[in-house]
Amino acid sequence: MVTIDLAQIPVRDANEQIRNYGEAGEDVEVINPDARHHIGVGLTSPISVHVKGSAGYFCAGLTDQATFYIDNNVGWGLGDNIYSGTVVVGGNAGAIPAIGIRGAEIIIKGNMGSRAGQVMKAGTLLCAGNANFMAGYMLYGGRIIILGDSGERVGEDMTGGEIFVGGKVQDLGSDAKLTDMTEAEHDSVREFLDRYEIPFKGNFQKIVNAGQKLRYGSPERQMRSIPFFTFSGASPYWNPKVQEDIHIKSQSGRYRIRGYGTARALPHLSDLAFAKDLSRINDSADVISKVHMYTEIGGLNGANPLKLSMPVMVSPMSYGALSRSTKHAIGLASAMSDIAENTGEGGMSDAQRSAAKQLIFQCLGGRLGWNIHDMKRADGLEIYISQGAKPGLGGQLMAKKVTKELADIRGIPAGIDLRSPSRHPDILGADDLVIKVEEFREATGYRLPVSVKLGAGRVRDDIKIAVKDGFDFIELDGMQGSTGAGSSEVIDFVGIPTLAAIIEAEEALAEIGRRQDTQIVLMGGMRDGVDAIKGLCLGADAIGFGTSVIIAGGCIACMQCHVGQCVTGIATQDPNHEKRYKPEIEAQNIHRFFESVRWQIAAITHALGYDDVRQLNRGDLVALTPEAAAITGLPYRPVGSESQSEVLAS
Amino acid sequence: MCGIAGILFKHDTPELTTGKALINMLDGCQHRGPDSTGFALYEAAHTGQLRLRFFVGEDEETDDSIQRIRQALAEHHATIVEEEVIGNNYRAIVDFTGNLQKFSYAIEHAAKVISIGASLEIVKDVGSADDVDKRYEVNKFQGSHGLGHVRLATESDVKPEASHPFWATGFADIAIVHNGQITNYWKMRRRLERRGFEFTTDNDSELIAVYLADKLSQGITLKAALRTSIDDLDGTFSFLVSTANEIGYAKDRLAAKPMVMYENEDLVAVASEEVSLNRLFPGQALQTKEPLPGTYATWSRSI
Ligand SMILES: Cc1cc2nc3c(=O)[nH]c(=O)nc-3n(C[C@H](O)[C@H](O)[C@H](O)COP(=O)(O)O)c2cc1C
Repeated sequence: MVTIDLAQIPVRDANEQIRNYGEAGEDVEVINPDARHHIGVGLTSPISVHVKGSAGYFCAGLTDQATFYIDNNVGWGLGDNIYSGTVVVGGNAGAIPAIGIRGAEIIIKGNMGSRAGQVMKAGTLLCAGNANFMAGYMLYGGRIIILGDSGERVGEDMTGGEIFVGGKVQDLGSDAKLTDMTEAEHDSVREFLDRYEIPFKGNFQKIVNAGQKLRYGSPERQMRSIPFFTFSGASPYWNPKVQEDIHIKSQSGRYRIRGYGTARALPHLSDLAFAKDLSRINDSADVISKVHMYTEIGGLNGANPLKLSMPVMVSPMSYGALSRSTKHAIGLASAMSDIAENTGEGGMSDAQRSAAKQLIFQCLGGRLGWNIHDMKRADGLEIYISQGAKPGLGGQLMAKKVTKELADIRGIPAGIDLRSPSRHPDILGADDLVIKVEEFREATGYRLPVSVKLGAGRVRDDIKIAVKDGFDFIELDGMQGSTGAGSSEVIDFVGIPTLAAIIEAEEALAEIGRRQDTQIVLMGGMRDGVDAIKGLCLGADAIGFGTSVIIAGGCIACMQCHVGQCVTGIATQDPNHEKRYKPEIEAQNIHRFFESVRWQIAAITHALGYDDVRQLNRGDLVALTPEAAAITGLPYRPVGSESQSEVLAS
Repeated sequence: MCGIAGILFKHDTPELTTGKALINMLDGCQHRGPDSTGFALYEAAHTGQLRLRFFVGEDEETDDSIQRIRQALAEHHATIVEEEVIGNNYRAIVDFTGNLQKFSYAIEHAAKVISIGASLEIVKDVGSADDVDKRYEVNKFQGSHGLGHVRLATESDVKPEASHPFWATGFADIAIVHNGQITNYWKMRRRLERRGFEFTTDNDSELIAVYLADKLSQGITLKAALRTSIDDLDGTFSFLVSTANEIGYAKDRLAAKPMVMYENEDLVAVASEEVSLNRLFPGQALQTKEPLPGTYATWSRSI
């Protein structure tokens, strides 16, 4: 047993030591903890850590196999995302204990704060005192045992798992119901109490999901497919899309869920042109070698940056919306083009990890597939706040796609219409977010860049907050961005166009004097290197491609992504459909698409008279429409005026 | 978005350390708000006297501002007893016996008032607890109780006047610190404005101060005002309020913002995080409590 004194060393050093002692198999005792945050996070060895006093936020978070004893109280997020192990708390716990745990046994001798066990997937959380508001909120699995009173709205929107209450059930949450406890459950709870020597004489009431909200009453039907360009057709009033919307609603009786992005024409990068004559663009045969495109992203606070051969990356797209083979192909292509890939929601597969040379691991509110082991093998960590296609809303994965395999990875019941939470349990404000970002850094030894994905909404405020919260870079996603599934009205009408978003972001950074060191990856409707280079001119440091990547890899834009019967095997979890997808072949296609982007970026940069993409600037652009001029403040030069028209994509 | 702290010493002892205690507690949760830091501090009151603090900046216009304040004070029959310029503040003690609300609204139009009270002084500026202490010598404040706040600006600017605590403009000695977001801000504000209340910022937290002051001025107890605030205010909040002789808290029903409290024979301390409370008692395991959602309480001095 070794002793670590937090009155002497900072938590960061202590955690480093704890992990080292863990590897050496040595138990640790922590003295003078004084409720400091992040004690023990990221520990993945079977040692015991005894905290002699109170611990702060995220104690024992992101750990596996370890045993923690905390003599007194703990703050928010006790045992965040634990895989396996034991945590015993002698005093009270703050809000969201056992958040998102995938196993483990967590025992709290005192009371616990609100939303205990939120998005928990497996394991046991026992509270010997009283629970608080919304215990078991969005519980996906595992069990919560409360010996005292339940608190209000217990089991709110739980989809799986059980809650046993020994005291008073004050008030049931939505879609939760009381049910009888089996003899076996009784024995198992008793055995658990005996094992931890917790005396309790009373009886239990059992709470489970009532099954009213697990599935939409009417599934999405597969429709005759209309290609996106027809779908987003010319007439603003009656066009094939409006017609199809109505057909679908006449069947389902509710809002329509679909994939892809907004079908409305909005001001976009194509409303800008280059100020200079680029007619000599093809002059140089080997233009790629003449332009410096290598870009590092995320090194701001000393983490290992992503190293991109050009200022381009793949946008986060979930394994779930997309098939495993598709994620594999994208991973392979990203490595061939030497750029970064992103897991999106729903976890990291081995195939994807080994295929992608650089892989960002994305953390969303449901913590579906999020875990310490994959964090450690990632090249970047990302907190999803929202996305451009549906800012403020969570992901939707219809039952057809929630197969057994996918459900296991995410830790949720199979066959439900999964509506991922739109909020993080432990991020209710910029102040909580600071502590969350720090937790990720602590857990991974400050090696990895931590980024944030923001859908464009209140861009000016959000960008400033992201900077203050200490992110290593920001992914900013405009309204033209696509989604795997979202409500059609939201996709069409909610958000801020990509063009407006980057302008506002630049202004925000200028206002706080952080333009120089803050990096922004812009995405949302990027179709080629021409769009990309305009984004770079407007100030982005790199560009993210989503939809064009899946189109390059075979997507036919039939708009049925959410249904799960994708004929190309891209947006499906059905093995029969997925069979059609050939990752090695599609990876080549995607790679060639990225190489065309590379050539365009190089050729235009060169034609503009530069030899480095960092020289691109606003002065290289003009606006072709009054709207684009108003949004960007660029000079208005419509086609046909004395200056040049746009460079056509080659 | 921020961290809050409050302390009340229950008895008069020769060495009250309110200033030091608050600095320590805020330093403990500075991660919650790096932009600005502020304190509401209470010193002994003297009958017929008011303590005034104003923002006067630190540039060519400072002297003009001070001149304007002096003039306004004279116009409203406030006689300066003591004055000083400290940091970007002009601080004065005046003899005054008229209607405080009218007086402060009038003064408000001439200068940027930070606080007016018989015993309250609000000290707030950009920077950390340590920075603000260095500029304004907060550690020297003894007083019996006080509040503190660290701010991470989300919607309004990083400016001294946008930092907390907020004074309930027009009502002596009432200050609040707030963590969260009031979503029915404009509705409530317009209601109060129609009844003649004035607001000096667009910050949602100022609303809480004015709301409570309104209730108190109608003779409603602080406790009762806190109780109704839980229904009347919409959004997320954990806030602390202080008056000349008590402190209190209220917490929303959604329990979205943290708050922990500790009480012993001598003092009550409340903070966003236990780490702040532990700063007062290093090395000790404290018996703390987390207030339940939708609850409120007050503590007053039992001298
Ligand atoms: C099939 C699909 C799945 C997506 N899944 C995620 C996700 O899990 N996380 C996320 O941040 N964004 C997700 N997005 C949004 C993209 O990351 C990105 O914001 C958007 O696609 C960019 O616009 P573009 O598609 O026009 O290039 C998804 C998009 C698509 C098309």
